[in-house]
Parts: sequence; structure tokens; C-alpha cells
Amino acid sequence: MSMTTSEITGKSMLQVLRGHGGVVALVAILLFNMAFTPNFFQLQTLFVNISQVATIAIVAMGMTLVIATGGIDLSVGAIMALAGALAPLIFLSEFGTAYPVLGVALAIALPLLVALACGLFNGIMVAKLNVQPIIATLILFISGRGVAQVLTNGNLQTFSNPQFSYLGTGKILGLPFQGWLAVAIAVVLYLVISRTTFGRYVLAIGGNERAARLSGGPVARVKIGVYMICGALAGLAGLIVVAINSASDAARNGSLMELDAIAAAVVGGALLQGGRAPIFGAILGAVIIQLVKYTLLANGVEDEVALIAKAGIILVAVYVQQARKE
Amino acid sequence: MKRRNILLSATMIGLGFASAAFADGLPPLAQKDTYRVGFAQMESNNPWRIAESKSFVDTAESCGWELIATDAAGSAAKQVADVESMIAQGIDVLFLPPREEKPLIPAVKRAQAAGIPTFLVDRSVDPNAAVAGVDFVAFLGSDFIKQGQQVAEWTIANFKGEKGVIVELEGTTGSSPANDRRSGFDDAIAADPRFEIVASQTGDFARDMGRQVMETLLQAHPDVNIVYAHNDEMAIGAIQALELAGRKPGEDVMIVSIDGTRDALQAIIDGKMGVTVESSPFFGPLACETMKRYAAGETIEPWVQVSDRIFTVENAADHIDEAY
Repeated sequence: MSMTTSEITGKSMLQVLRGHGGVVALVAILLFNMAFTPNFFQLQTLFVNISQVATIAIVAMGMTLVIATGGIDLSVGAIMALAGALAPLIFLSEFGTAYPVLGVALAIALPLLVALACGLFNGIMVAKLNVQPIIATLILFISGRGVAQVLTNGNLQTFSNPQFSYLGTGKILGLPFQGWLAVAIAVVLYLVISRTTFGRYVLAIGGNERAARLSGGPVARVKIGVYMICGALAGLAGLIVVAINSASDAARNGSLMELDAIAAAVVGGALLQGGRAPIFGAILGAVIIQLVKYTLLANGVEDEVALIAKAGIILVAVYVQQARKE
Repeated sequence: MKRRNILLSATMIGLGFASAAFADGLPPLAQKDTYRVGFAQMESNNPWRIAESKSFVDTAESCGWELIATDAAGSAAKQVADVESMIAQGIDVLFLPPREEKPLIPAVKRAQAAGIPTFLVDRSVDPNAAVAGVDFVAFLGSDFIKQGQQVAEWTIANFKGEKGVIVELEGTTGSSPANDRRSGFDDAIAADPRFEIVASQTGDFARDMGRQVMETLLQAHPDVNIVYAHNDEMAIGAIQALELAGRKPGEDVMIVSIDGTRDALQAIIDGKMGVTVESSPFFGPLACETMKRYAAGETIEPWVQVSDRIFTVENAADHIDEAY
């Protein structure tokens, strides 16, 4: 009798582990750092990690929505570069220097509109022209960064503009502005997914697109909307990177971000087949990837090894997911 | 067979013009008013490369060059193809910054076989496979090891504290400037027992990554008081990281670096940075001068060294207008 009880507890333990693999991993990393990383439990460590993780988290949330519809968006890094290249062009222009406040406002608004338009393009390709998402978004993945580099002649644009830099260096209650921004976006997206018909359709399309269409759902519109949200969030992340650095580097801004974002979404519990949109999971995934990078770097391990560790985490995350499906 | 005969006869004709330079196998260069010159740039995604390309374009007119410039956009394969297309276009001289040490060797040898004197600029090829003075005329470039040494010497002379705790931000892993700037600095700084390098990590020559790595290393080693970056972009990133963490670069942390970009000179003027050793991208005038010496029949030294200046608070303001 006692045998079966322990079997049952063992089984449910395993289920708990699977259900909350991300949280377990996070606790494990924190425990490791407590023991080995010098000066880990300080406010400044929190500050550094939040400021570094915010952009990945923001892009990963958009990616989670796209993945929830069974799609994927490879163009997020290129959209970051494009938005990031536009902003300094606007506030450094004659108009921008003549009207500094309006210049900064436009330098945030216009790149976001362009990013939205990129998302619209992706969405139309996928939803209306039925191009496979991986190919549809490959177009902007290749050309978006090219456009950004043409706009700037490939030059690194440097600037000093405290108002604009607030996006990346501002502090609220001692913590980075972009961290609060990421949390605010997460709350909004969570409500959208759980409380609106749009959110229901996102999950329905990912679960069974044919069924969603046959039941009269606005499949195309919802898909386009999802890619637009993802594009806009990528644009915002691009602006943040530029603001932190006081420089826009079209060649590097957002480079390999698509992979980080997909990894964060998957680690956070998104299913690549679609049908799940764990928004806070995406943040958790981004935090885990960030903390692993931080831990290895702070302990003097080469950056290249960190890449291998990242791949290992994705492998484990996918394994846990597969097990959960069965 | 026929083609080989043509090549052979071309070589025979070439031999007729044999000069001092040709004796060791290098193709000769006639003295003319104008030359068709090929410049096969590797990529244009950073200020340094852009300044280098511009320097060649700016020199073209004064040196009588009809310049054919290409951009391989970061691909060694495209750079080889670019050189082949230049050979087909009948250039007289080739200036080539080989992106990688081995893949560009066929391009160098093909230009040589086509009778085109080739000068390597700012990076070289694998010395085991192609030798200056035999397979190409000469290498024009800086001494990366010396740049690292100069930074170390300046640091030793100007560091006032008792113990120097150094964080090193390395360039792209495996690239020759990163390897040489590290060994030059590390060997020279080891001579003074006051200094210790507590962490050395790559920032990939980029500002954003330099900043992120510095933020992390600063948390792990808060007692750091010297940052050595392999280029100015990473140094600027490190300054931003230090300022975000409430430190005062230039006062409680000494920043030393290499390149001499405009932003770095401004940081020196603002008192945030100690020194930057120049790694000049302005190769145009040197290329012109070396080519003319070669055309005049001089034997060119295998390594034409670029004299790099040292920028500190004493001279930064004088040079910022010419910086890139």
C-alpha cells in the first residue's frame, strides 16, 4: 500500500516538475549564483539583468503570439535594425533639431509605424497569400537590415540625446524603464489573450486553423494583427537598444534576436505547433536565458560556451514539452 | 593547351621587361600617369572600414587612379569573386584587405599570375602559404602587437594607484587584431607586478556587446579600476556601462583603448578616457606612395608599417576634426 502512495507522489512530483520546469530551472540558477557568483545578491545585479533582458522579453512576447497561431517570425531582428536606424535619422535631421520635443516624439512614433507596416507585410504574406511563415518573414529578415544599412550608408550613427536615451537608461523606482515597459506590455497582452475574442481566436487558429475558419472566425485578420503586434514590439526593442547605446548600428542591432526570441518563447512553454500563448512564460524564458549568459560570463566562461549552454536549455525545454504532450 | 601557350608567351614578353623587382618573381609595374586600380573592400559595416574605403576614393584623383572599388559585404567568397572580376577588367594594380587568412590566397595568386602587382592592406594572409615579396608585393598595415604594448606602457606610466585591477574587452574571437592586441598588452603589463587582469572576455569589437559584457564583469569584479578595450567602440560601451552603474570613468576607472575614432577622442577631451592608440584607416596616401615607389623600380620592404600615433588629453583636441 505504502508502495503505491510513494509511486503516486513520485508521479505527481514529476508532473509538477514538468508543469513548472521553467520555475524550477530559474530557482536552480539562482541557487547556483548564490553559491558561486561574487556580488550576486545586489540591487545593481538586478538592474543590469533587467536592462539586458528587457529587449529579449519584449520581442519574445510578440514571438509567442505569432507562434501561438502556428507561425514564426524571422524578421524581428531586421525590424529592430530598421526602427533603430530611423530614429536617429529623425531627431538628428534639421526638423528634429529645430523642434527637439516633436523630433523625439516623431523619432519614437514613426519607426514604430514602420515596424507595424513590416508586420502588416508579414501578415498579408502569411494570411492572404498563404506563404509559409518561415519564407514570408525571411523576406524582411534579409531585406530589412539591408534597407537599414542603405538608409545610414552602413555608418554607425552616434548621438547624445538624453530625452531619447531615457527609453534605455531611464529609471523608475530605481529599476530600468524598459523593465517596467516589458511588464506593462506583458500585462496588456495577457489580458488581450485571456479576455478578448481576438485572444481566443489566436489560440483557436493555432489549435486548429481549419476549424477556426469553418466556424466563421476572422482568421486572416487575426493573423495579420498578430504579426503587426510582433513587428511593433520588435521595433520598440530596436529603439531601446539604440537608446541604451546612444548609437545606432544597423549591421548589429537585433542580430540573432529572432533566435533568442524563439528560444525564450519555447523555454517559456510555447508550442511551435501553436495553440498556447504563455506571455509570462516568454518573460520567464528570456530571464532564464539571460541569467545563464550572466552566470557564465560573471564566472569567466567564454561567450562561445554560453551559446552551447543556450542550446542545451532549448533541448531540455523541448524534451519537457514533448513529454507533456503524451 | 592553347591558353597555356598564350600565358607562356605573355610571360616571355614580361621577361623582356625584366627589372630589379621582377628578378624575385613579382610582376613589374610601368610608370604611367594614370593607373587602373582595384580596391576590394571586405565589408562596410563599421566606421573604420568606411573611413578606409573613403581614403582610397579620396586619394584616387590626386594619385592618378581610375579606381574600381568593390564591397564583399563580409563574405570571403564574394571577395575572391570581386578580385577575379577586377582581373578581367584589366586592372594595373590591386589593393586587397583579405578578410580571412586562408580563403583569399587563391585570389592573391591569380592576380600575380595575371601580372598584376598586389598589395595587401591592413590584414595579411597566412604566411605559410603566401609570402610578401614572392606571392605579393608587400603588406601595408599596423603592428597590432605594438599597439597593445603601447597601451600597456601608457597604462604603467600613468596609473597612480597601488593595485591595478584590469578588465580586458577582447575583439572578435580568433581575428588577428584581437589575438595580437591581447598578447601585446598582456605580455607588457605582466612586467609590472602592480597589475592583474581579473577578467578577459570578447565584446566582438561592438559597442552594444562591449557594454553588456562590461556591465556583467563590473558586477563580478567591482574593484576594477582599469578597462582595456581592443577597440574604441567597446571602450565607449564600457564607459556607458560604468556610468549606468554610478561609477566615474576617467576618475575611479581608467579606460584605455585602440583605434582613435571621433567618439573616443571626444571621451578623452571629456576626461572619461585615458588613451587611445591610433590604428589608422587612412591607407590611401600610403598606398599611392608605395605603388609609385614600386613603379620606379624600388624593392619594397615586405611589411610597410603604418606609423600610429597616440592620442591623449594633450593632443586629442588637435586631432578630433580629422577623426572619423
